[in-house]
Amino acid sequence: MRFARPRRHSAALVAALLGAAILLAGCGGDDSDDQGDAAAATRTVEADNGTVEIPAHPQRVATLGRLTLSFLDLGGKPVGVTEVDAPVVGLLPAEQQAAYKAAKLLGSSASEADLELLATLKPDLILFSAPDSDFDQMKSQLESIAPTIYFGFSSDWKTRLSVTADATGLTDALNEQKSEYDETLAEFKKKYSEIIKTTRFGEVNRGSWQDPGMFSLNGSQCSEIARADVPLNIPDLGEGGEERSFERIGDLSEYDVLIYPVDVEGKVAEGFVPVAESNGWKALPAVTSGKALGVYCFGDISFTRSYRTYSQYLDSLGQALAKLAPAG
Amino acid sequence: MTTQTSDVEARMPAAASGPRLRAGGLLTVLVTLLVLLVLSLLVGSTVIAPSVVWDALFHPSADIDQYSIRDYRVPRTAVGLVVGMALGAAGALIQALTRNPLADTGVLGLSAGSSFAVTVAVGVLGIRDISGYMWFAFAGALIVTIMVLLLGSTRSGQSPGVMVLAGVCVGAVLGGASSALQLTNPDAFDAMRSWAAGSILGRPLDVMWPVVPFFAVALVLAFAVSGPLNAMALGDEIAAAQGVALNRTRVLAIIAITLLAGGATAIAGPIGFVGLMVPHVARWFVGPNQRWIFAYSILLAPSLLLASDIVGRIAMRPTEIPVGVVTAFIGAPVLIALVRRRKASGL
Repeated sequence: MRFARPRRHSAALVAALLGAAILLAGCGGDDSDDQGDAAAATRTVEADNGTVEIPAHPQRVATLGRLTLSFLDLGGKPVGVTEVDAPVVGLLPAEQQAAYKAAKLLGSSASEADLELLATLKPDLILFSAPDSDFDQMKSQLESIAPTIYFGFSSDWKTRLSVTADATGLTDALNEQKSEYDETLAEFKKKYSEIIKTTRFGEVNRGSWQDPGMFSLNGSQCSEIARADVPLNIPDLGEGGEERSFERIGDLSEYDVLIYPVDVEGKVAEGFVPVAESNGWKALPAVTSGKALGVYCFGDISFTRSYRTYSQYLDSLGQALAKLAPAG
Repeated sequence: MTTQTSDVEARMPAAASGPRLRAGGLLTVLVTLLVLLVLSLLVGSTVIAPSVVWDALFHPSADIDQYSIRDYRVPRTAVGLVVGMALGAAGALIQALTRNPLADTGVLGLSAGSSFAVTVAVGVLGIRDISGYMWFAFAGALIVTIMVLLLGSTRSGQSPGVMVLAGVCVGAVLGGASSALQLTNPDAFDAMRSWAAGSILGRPLDVMWPVVPFFAVALVLAFAVSGPLNAMALGDEIAAAQGVALNRTRVLAIIAITLLAGGATAIAGPIGFVGLMVPHVARWFVGPNQRWIFAYSILLAPSLLLASDIVGRIAMRPTEIPVGVVTAFIGAPVLIALVRRRKASGL
């Protein structure tokens, strides 16, 4: 069944919001007139779907698709969400998990979202992220419910976060995260300046979705951050790095230090176990000399890229480097 | 049996060679396979000197390159050999049984059965390791075979036409169920993505060994039914008049096909075109005699698989292309060329 929201419902929704805003303004103090104006006012933001006119201070934000994680990470409390993979939810901080669970579940993915249910939540802003083709199909239905900000999968993460924070009134939270990241980065650079200057790093990764005999080299999103911001000497092998077969594990001998993925508890990540247990890996100079370092990188999962997750990554990387050699 | 063979020989097209030439051709194919086995050990996505390969096999040490040979090239070469033989024999049997030159494991629903079982194993039961879910692939193929045998039974016994219809129907249902499971379960989708491409990379020997006895039994069965299948190629009535037990032959052939194709799919995932294409090539060389077709197929198929795998290793260095993708690229145009030689490759 195709969902089509009649325009008069939108008008009624705006009228209801206006009414509520006026009522709230009447209960306020001296600056109540300003607040009422602000609630009724609109402004524009730039997203992948162009210039979008949104409420100046949206109160009911629904997130469909991967932007759910970005919004939660900024401390947002959505009224409706689409499903986030259970293992990923389990890795979120407690308050983010609570915010996710408190929201109405709208479906398993952005393209599968129940738009009738979404409309009943009366959102005043929708954050949407899915393949372009899905957005093209759903655009008119979404926009008939509420102003919709769309970011595709290839959008720049910093722009995505900045616009999301700006649109939802969470810029302070974003700035706080960025400040913390900058501080962590500065401290990291100072503490490990010698290692950073003299060491050639190889970042080895393998996901459980990869062919049993393949691993990835220098391709995670965390390695991209380390290369760009520290800058750590992790040779750039192109976007996503290079996928190589296990018979090329010997290539890793050229690196002074190897970084491999661990989970939040420090155990070798599930997908990487076949590499870690291989004879070739165990015979590598970096491994035999204790220079293979497990580092936790939550920001490598789609749309978990944020200043907070990268601060976490730098912390983990710093702890690993601390084992390697004296700081400095 | 001599009568069966001579009848078939009489139907051979002019292109088919005599026994001596066929034996010579078989020897050539065997030598080609041996050369490819050696090349599979020598050539890979990384360059390793032949002397290191030699030392890895005969003077083992803890050298990293030696591990690459022993832990990866040797197993994938062995898996390519075994899986290739199984796919070739299964393809030849299926085409002979169904008298359909375009039949492959998909026609009897075996690939769909294996894929569905793997999807359940990964998506529902959370089994991630290939040594765990390969048995589901095998079991899936076996269960589908039993269903096809039951559904394909008529009052007069097993009917190839009804079995093919049953296989296509069961395959379509299971294919849809697999898609539904994968679409609603990202873990299953991720795991199936690499398995479904078909690859012999990263399959250790301990994944292959448990399946080898099944292959051995199936190959014996395949050769045992090749004579009766020759007779059945002339028509059921003639075959029955020559004393062929039609139903028993069909059931044994189906069991052999299931063990071969189910086992091969369990180890390597669904590899297309090999089982479809190789019997055509064999038929082109030796005519319609099933015994020769089997003999050629079990040597030609691993040759094709190993050659495709070697191409996959070096075509996009430093990464690799799964062998299933290479066989599809090679297979499609070759198959078109072959089917256009209808007189030589038709059944």
